[in-house]
Amino acid sequence: MIDIVGITKTNLEIAPGYRLLRLALDQNVEVRPGQFAMLRPRRAREPLLRRALAIYRVDGPRRVSFLYQVLGRGTEALAQIGEGGEVEALLPLGNSWPIPRANERAIVVAGGIGSASVLMLCEELKQAAVDTTVFFGAANAGAAVGCGLDDFRAYGFPLTLSTVDGSAGEHALVTAPLERCLKKDGGRGATIYTCGPWAMMKRVSELADHFELNCFASLEAPMGCGFGVCVGCVVAVKTEEPLGYGSYKRVCTDGSIFNSKSVRWDINAMGH
Amino acid sequence: MSTNHDPRLAVTIAGINFNNPVLGASGTFGYGLEFAELIDLNRLGGFVTKGLSAKPLSGNPPPRIVETHGGMLNAIGLQNIGARAFVEEKLPPLKRYDTRVIANVFGYSDDEYIEAITILNDGEGIAAYELNISCPNVKEGGIVIGNSPSAAARLTARAKRASSRPLIVKLSPNVTDVAELARAIADAGADCLSLINTVVGMSIDVKTRRPRLSYGTGGLSGPAIRPIAVRMVYEVAKAVDLPLIGIGGIASTNDALEFIIAGSTAIQIGTANYYDPAVTMKVIDGLSAHCRDQGIVAIGEITRSLRL
Repeated sequence: MIDIVGITKTNLEIAPGYRLLRLALDQNVEVRPGQFAMLRPRRAREPLLRRALAIYRVDGPRRVSFLYQVLGRGTEALAQIGEGGEVEALLPLGNSWPIPRANERAIVVAGGIGSASVLMLCEELKQAAVDTTVFFGAANAGAAVGCGLDDFRAYGFPLTLSTVDGSAGEHALVTAPLERCLKKDGGRGATIYTCGPWAMMKRVSELADHFELNCFASLEAPMGCGFGVCVGCVVAVKTEEPLGYGSYKRVCTDGSIFNSKSVRWDINAMGH
Repeated sequence: MSTNHDPRLAVTIAGINFNNPVLGASGTFGYGLEFAELIDLNRLGGFVTKGLSAKPLSGNPPPRIVETHGGMLNAIGLQNIGARAFVEEKLPPLKRYDTRVIANVFGYSDDEYIEAITILNDGEGIAAYELNISCPNVKEGGIVIGNSPSAAARLTARAKRASSRPLIVKLSPNVTDVAELARAIADAGADCLSLINTVVGMSIDVKTRRPRLSYGTGGLSGPAIRPIAVRMVYEVAKAVDLPLIGIGGIASTNDALEFIIAGSTAIQIGTANYYDPAVTMKVIDGLSAHCRDQGIVAIGEITRSLRL
């Protein structure tokens, strides 16, 4: 974990409301798939807190990029940064996706901008020659592009696209084609990796339980610091004594990736 | 590891020597070790731990924090590992660092505060206790005691008797007359007062019409509360002779100096640690530069130096 100032190479809108921020760093950072960074424009007065963004990919030595959706004050401030703009970056943070062995199978379920957390995972799965299937869901055709659809397609894995409004791919929530696939072949022992809206991940977790598959979910929560001290970003996990000591884990340092079976999906950590 | 400290910044509070007056505030500095990768802890004047209770606490359900303009609301609910685990697991690695460790102490009742202090008395490497009678995010203890001068004085007296170390009492700003509260606690035997804790606030999601925090209300921190805190330090400095530690939205050298001039011997930095983890180092450097530029030989010269 280092706290450095990145220089913006590009910060382009790739679809309405979605941007790709590419930063040059003054030192190399070892990033594992699924890790994130806390970012804000340098010397910004508002908003105060940095925003947690998944590291989308490592573009080369001392180069990282972030795919993000402009959703509120923090991401709006990031969206204003132009080429050469300075970004305070604390990274890399959090744990990483557990990678299966070459003879195992993987199912990646990305919902909305949750895709940003699983692109590096797909790269790793490709390198490890893991038999991988991708389910990619977005609100509409434009959002699918904004969430990096073309980057995912480049890996050549079988990919099922679905949109909420039916403007691209199947007219369905991403969990519908997933469920159909699992009903057909039971998942064949695959490990499921998911990142997206809370309700989506909750459903994916239920499906994984039903078909007795391992499932890992990358969670999000409003974060104060990103490195474990504010204890603000907690998720409720299952414990012997419900909500007793140990029942709240920090998304930033105990996660952001959790075994889906450990999560109390009835208590939404995202706060919306 | 030897660290060059600016002798002009050294301060003493209740017999404890601090290398400089810059401390990390409770709840924003974890157990100190979390910052070891980010700053040189040997350069830090000291820090105050997350509130420690006799038994571990699980805290409040999420969401626990929400950002507001110029600050943030939190209702963590004092999730902590417990005093025993702190003594056994956190204090030994902290011994490597030349910084003063202050243990923040919390309980749901007077007895539980004393129980936590008794456990912490066994620990080596704690410089002082900070009695948390001002946390607004629990339904018993905390602010319930800190809102009443008589209840605060009663607990202060008991804690002072139970404690093997100097006792700092952390004041709540959520009172009508902070000076009256400060006098009652000073008369009960506190060695030092720290102020302020967070200001009770609320934020509402207008679509769901629900509070944004699961607890309903939360404690407001950050630059938004700084002027309130400076005013309260000034009022308390007029009311009591005890050394004061100023807290409330400090994010720069200038902010720290305001608190020192208003009456603080030392200061704590809180919320700014979240978005600028090296802020304590920057403020230490800034205070050195200020002393040099202003010809100040010892930073204590300007404590309580407000000109009216």
